[in-house]
Formats: sequence, C-alpha cells, structure tokens
Amino acid sequence: MKAGPASLWRDRLAFDARAAVLLCAVLAALPLVITGPYAQGIILVSMYFAILSLAWNALAGYTGQFSLAPAAFAMLGGYTTALLDFYWHVPLVLAIPAAIVSTALLGLVLGKLVLNLSGPYLSLTTLAFAEIARVVIGNSHEFTRGDQGMHVATLTESRLAYYYIFLAALVLVLAVLYFMLRGRLGRFMTAVRDDAIGAESRGIDVVRVKMIVFCTSCAICGLAGSLYGTFSQLVSPELGLLQQTGLVLAMVVIGGMGSLTGSVVGALLVYLGSEWLRELGNVQVIVFALLVILFARWVPGGLWSAAVARIGRKQA
Amino acid sequence: MNLLVVDELSKRFGGVAAVNGVSFEVREGEILGLIGPNGSGKTTVLNMLSGFLPPDAGRITMDGRDVTRMPPAGLAQAGILRMFQMTRVFTRTSAFDNLLTAGMARGLSEAESTRRAQSLVEELTLGPVQHLDAGQLSGGQRKLLEFGMCFIEAPRVAMLDEPFAAVHPVMREVMAKFIRARHEQGATFLLVSHDMPIVVDLCQRAVCMNAGRVIATGGVHEVLRDHQVIEAYLGETHEGDEPPTLEVST
Amino acid sequence: MLRLSLDLLANGLIYGCFYALMAVGLAMIFGVLKIVNFAHGEFFMIGAYTYVLVALNFSVSPWLALPCAAIGGAALGWIVERLLMRPLYAGYASWGFMKDEYAVVVTFGLSLLLVNLVDKVVGPYSYKGPALIETSRFALGPVMLTGQKAIATVVAVFIMIALALFLKKSVWGKQIQAVAQNRLGASLAGIDATRTTSLIFAISGMLAALSGALLAPLVNPSPDVGSFPAIKSYVIVVLGGMGSVWGAMIAALIVGVSEAFFSVYGSYDYRDAFGLAILVLVLLLRPQGLLGQKGRDV
Repeated sequence: MKAGPASLWRDRLAFDARAAVLLCAVLAALPLVITGPYAQGIILVSMYFAILSLAWNALAGYTGQFSLAPAAFAMLGGYTTALLDFYWHVPLVLAIPAAIVSTALLGLVLGKLVLNLSGPYLSLTTLAFAEIARVVIGNSHEFTRGDQGMHVATLTESRLAYYYIFLAALVLVLAVLYFMLRGRLGRFMTAVRDDAIGAESRGIDVVRVKMIVFCTSCAICGLAGSLYGTFSQLVSPELGLLQQTGLVLAMVVIGGMGSLTGSVVGALLVYLGSEWLRELGNVQVIVFALLVILFARWVPGGLWSAAVARIGRKQA
Repeated sequence: MNLLVVDELSKRFGGVAAVNGVSFEVREGEILGLIGPNGSGKTTVLNMLSGFLPPDAGRITMDGRDVTRMPPAGLAQAGILRMFQMTRVFTRTSAFDNLLTAGMARGLSEAESTRRAQSLVEELTLGPVQHLDAGQLSGGQRKLLEFGMCFIEAPRVAMLDEPFAAVHPVMREVMAKFIRARHEQGATFLLVSHDMPIVVDLCQRAVCMNAGRVIATGGVHEVLRDHQVIEAYLGETHEGDEPPTLEVST
Repeated sequence: MLRLSLDLLANGLIYGCFYALMAVGLAMIFGVLKIVNFAHGEFFMIGAYTYVLVALNFSVSPWLALPCAAIGGAALGWIVERLLMRPLYAGYASWGFMKDEYAVVVTFGLSLLLVNLVDKVVGPYSYKGPALIETSRFALGPVMLTGQKAIATVVAVFIMIALALFLKKSVWGKQIQAVAQNRLGASLAGIDATRTTSLIFAISGMLAALSGALLAPLVNPSPDVGSFPAIKSYVIVVLGGMGSVWGAMIAALIVGVSEAFFSVYGSYDYRDAFGLAILVLVLLLRPQGLLGQKGRDV
C-alpha cells in the first residue's frame, strides 16, 4: 500500500470499497455461470452470513465491542417478522422493516446496558443476553411454537430472485457501512476501539458512537435474519445458537477484522468451505474453529491484511 | 485574568481525603506548575479537572463558566485538554491519522485537520514515522504525538501530566521547545511534574501540594524556596542547618 | 414444606460445592490475566469424558479414573496456555487484537473446537458415568442423598480445602498470589510470571475437569455438557467478584441454593435464563461483585 501524502485510513477505506464493489459485481454475474439452484442457494446463504459478518465487524472490528449476540439478533429479527406475519398477517413489505426497527430498539436497550462494560464483561453480558433470548423463545411454546419454529411467508418462490434480494441487501449494508466509516464517525469508531478513554479526552462522545454502532449492527443482523426467515419460510431458535455466532466470528477473523471486503470474503470462504467439509465428513466446525484460533494467534489481520501486505510489497 | 479557577476542591477515597479543599487559579497565558511529592493528590486533582473523577465538593470554573461536573468530552470541546502520564494514542491508526482524528473530534473539517496535521508533523519531527501505526512509535514519539493531538486546535488550557517522565533528552528538548513556542503564542499550561529543573525552566508560577492540601502558591522561585515545600519533599530540616534548596544551579 | 426446603437447601449446597470447584479456576485466570476463558466448560467436559472413558475402557476403579481426569484437565490447561495465551503478555501488534478481544476470540474458538472434536471422535451420545460408590439412596437427617452425591461432595470439599492451603502456604501458591496482584512487580522480584501463569491454567483445568468427573455419574456427559456449567461459572465469578477465589466459593453456594429453590418454586425451564439474568443484574448494579475490586483506571 503506497503511503500517500495524507490519510492512510482514507486510502485504505477507498481501496476496501473498490474491492467490495468488484466482489459484488462478481456475485451479481455469478448466476450466469452457476445455474444450479443448490449451488445458488449455498452462495445465497453465505451472503446472509456476509451481512451478519459485516454487522459484527462494524461493532467489533471497527469499534472494539466484542458482542457475542449477532446470531441472537438475527433470530430476533426473524421472529419479529414471523410473529407479525403469523398473528396479524402483516404484509412482508412492513414486517421486514419492522424487524429492523425492533432489533434496533433491542440493540438500544442492550447497548445502554453494556455501555460502561469493557472487554470480557461486555462479551459475557451479550452472551448472556443471547442465550436468554434463545432459551426464552425456545420455551415459549404458546407464542412461538418453541423449538419447532414458526412458519413464515415468503417474498417469492424463486430462488434466483432471492439470490438477488440478498445481494441487494448486501450492497445496501455495504453502502451504509461505507458512508458511516467514511466520515467522522468511522474515525471515532476506531478511536473508541483503540483507546476509549483517550478518545473521550480528545472530545469524542464515546457514548454516542457506541450507541449508534450498536444499534446499527443489531438492526443489520435483524434485517438479515428477517430476510433469511422469509427465504427458508421458517424461523427457529437455532438461528440464534452460539454456534452461529462462532461461525460469524470465524468469518470475520479469517477474512480480516479491519475491512469490509474481508468480512464478505471470509463469509464466502468459510460457508462454502463448510458445505464442502460437511460432505467430507462433518468436520466443518472443527476445521473452522481451528482456523480461527490459528489466524487469531498467528495472522491476526486475517486474509485481508495478508493480501494488502502482498500488494504493498509488489508496489514498493 | 483567571482562565481556570479551582475552588475548595475535595475528594475522599474510603476514609482518606486525597484532596482536601484545594484552591488555585490558572491565569491566561501562563505556565503553572503543580508540584508536590508522591501521594500529595496532584493526579487526583488533575483527574477531577479533566472530568474523569467527580469531586465530592468544590467548584471548577473556566472562563467564568461552571464546569465542575462536565464529562471529559465536553471539557475537551470547551478547550480543557489533558495529556496522560501513560501516553494515550490510537495505537492501530497511523500517527498522521491520529492527528486528523483529534482535529475532527474538536470540530475541524477534514481538510482543515489535514492542513494542520501536516504542519504539526513537521514541527514535532514526526515526519519519518507519520505513516506508522501509533503503536509502533517509541515512547518519546508517542508523547510528541499526544502533544500534537492536544494542540491541533488550540486549547484554552493544556494540562500536562508528567510529560517529561522517562523521555529521552533529545525528545525532551523538542517538547520543551514546543511548549515554549506555543506559550509565546499565548497558550496556557498546567504542568504537573516532578522534574524540578524543568519546572523552574518553564513555569512562571507554581502551586505545591502535600497530603491533599495546597501548602504554597506563588512565583516558582519563591515556592521552591518555601521551607514547607522543602520539608514536604526532603523531610524535616533542623535549626541551624544550611537551608537546603530544591533548585539545582546550572 | 420444611422438609422440602431443607432438601432443596442441601441439594443446593451440594451442587454449590461442585460449582465452586469449577468457578474457582475461572476466577484465578481472571485474577491473573484479566480475561474470561470461554472454553472453561470444555475443561469440565474433558474431565467428565476422561473419567468415563478411562473407567469404562480400562476397567479401572472409578477412584483411579478421577486422578486421570485431573491430569487430563491440567495437561490441557497447560498446553492451552503455552500455545495460545502468549499474545496476552506481548505488547503492541499491528493489525492485531487487543488483549481482551484476542482472549474472547481464541477461547470461544477453542470451545467450539473441543465440543465438535469430541463429538466427532467419541460420538454425540451421552455416556453413563460409573459412580464412585454404588450406594442407593439414604437419608442424612431430613435430607435424601445418594452415595455418589455424598461422596462426590466430600471429595469436592476436600479439594477446595487442599487448594486453599496450597494457595496460602506453598511456595507456588504464594507466587500465584503475587503474580495475580502485580505481574510486573512479581517478575521483578524474581518470580517466573509466565511459568506461574501456566500453572494457574493447569490448576484451573484440573479443577474444572475434576468437577466434570465428579458430576459425570449424575449428569451423563455429552459433548456439550460443559456449556451450562460454564455459564453458571461465569455467573458465579461475576457475582463473587472477578478474580476473587473466596468470592467465587461463596457465590457458588449462593447460586447453587438459589437455583435449587428457583427450579422448584420458579420455573424449571427457565432456570438457566434465571442464572444469566443474575449475571446481567450484577454487572449492571454492582460490577465488582461481592468481593471484587472496583476501578476505573485512568
């Protein structure tokens, strides 16, 4: 990465954005080559995870808040839509945005709770929240049919159409995050991550930054969960399993914590890899848990930083 | 003219009064030294002045405005900026970007921040390392960076907490030069330091604390010759002894 | 009514002892490294499996299988610390994690790894662990116990006392306390801080493994058997005050008893959510727990 005359942050973000656009273009063109619905479905689900990964990366990678609740918020978003559809027959056009709103509000509450907590306390509390949510939903048989899950309406029966719906959502989320990161908020986010006390003493409203990012991240998870629910026409507490959060963590760590493209790449690689490994003999979680540990320990910047370093060396 | 007025500030921890009715003023355009032996309460006072600790009693006024319970971010916006003893910089961002972020945090536009950051980098001799992550800088370079972050937008009062502790003499000179240059332009400083030669060199007035109270205020030379101050630092003196001095003749 | 309450109290205290065994290790790790080990439940699980598999496959007395579990847990703890925990002491790392984040990611990953590894290698079915004593129910005063519960409790208490003595009296124990209080100071005083930390991890693993082994006959281990005890441990450590061993012991008893009462008088299904709710409440209202220390460092 050539060191420009001014801001490295700016340059890196721009590079990241260009790469993300390229990646989305590739994804848009992919169904021309990959025509089977099964394969398309796999990429579709990895886009679901990509959205979750972006949300978690914004919160953890850029702002340093290591929440363990992304899958839980996806589940909550899915259930919001499912409940609205099931009990009040709310059309999806309203039920899906409602999921965004509900998870944003829940994120507001949880965010306020964890505001003054740091590091392990924050992770513990979000873990507790995630598990409580999952257990409560799983046990509320009268309302949510418990572990069996609930049926949800769908936007369309066409898998290809859903492929592009998810891609559109991915692009939307990328755009939202890019604009957040590009301005002052992005700088303040990393400042809070690197040194919250220092950030405060320089005049940054740390509380406001944390709350904005927390709510946005939760809302994005809610959107993903809601869309996924309408796609698979089912929501169940399994959406919120800690194992799913673990998968998201793996995707971001392996892809690269400090970049948008890295999260998407990580999601694609990990999910595609896990499907392939599933066929090999159900070892996918083992492999990826191992990879997470290896990456965290020895390649903490993920694939993205390795790639950027490569490119930097070539240019030098 | 009094810029910052501290009035009867107090703070207890458990049963101990760490700060007990401390009062002093920081006048506009001066460098005020806050001195005192270890445990005298200087850092606690500083933490209260920078919004990290709420006082149990007393008032802090700035430009006539009561800022006693303002949080750190608000104080920074009002122009009360603080440097930490253990340097606080944004470790995983480049040094240049640190300055940029600090500028934008104070309300500057990105373009203006960039301009100022570029000249600060020159002044602080951080040119060669400006694109390294702040975490990779040496201790002295980090201190200089933190300086820059405080000064990218002129503060009303800059509070420096032991800025010269464990710093290479060459860096020290750069910092001292920086402080003097800004001072000449009218900046106001509150300098907490153990380093007597530096205090004598830079400060016009001094406030000495011991055991939570102010024991002397005045011109820096008279404070350092005050026998209560000397006792606080060196222990008791006896009648008839050659009076010790805290000033080192150079 | 009274009989039920006494029975619940006794059971609560009994389970509290097991929880204490498990939570104390977590408290120690936090005291020294200021991190939470999210794989703690898996040490419990490994201990349970080691005990069961050794006893069943090698036809040894369960009493011999216990120390095997202990050794297994200790070994795992030691290895984890040596291989994975070094970055916690390192300084700055570009593109890298800060300490807390690293610990979360790595231990969380480790947790998933271990659960799925055991699931793959041993199988997802639960095992019946052989009891230490094959006594059926007997009455101790107003309380009904099984031989296993009674003996396991005695062993647990014994281990706790041994641990307390170790920490207070032995050279290593004192080194642990020194490192927990002030890592830099301890190493300046000549204590090998990294070796001590490895020791702490080993002890923590051993205690959790023993906890798993003692409970194996009662809970029938499956690969994810460790997740609920882990959550309880987090609740206990937070309640007792992060880093406080005594706090963890007291909090463990409190949690054991309140859980027993809640599961009968409250709701059985939600008893785990109850524990988590306690955790959230404590973190919000009194983050330093019962015996921990408050602090916002500037």
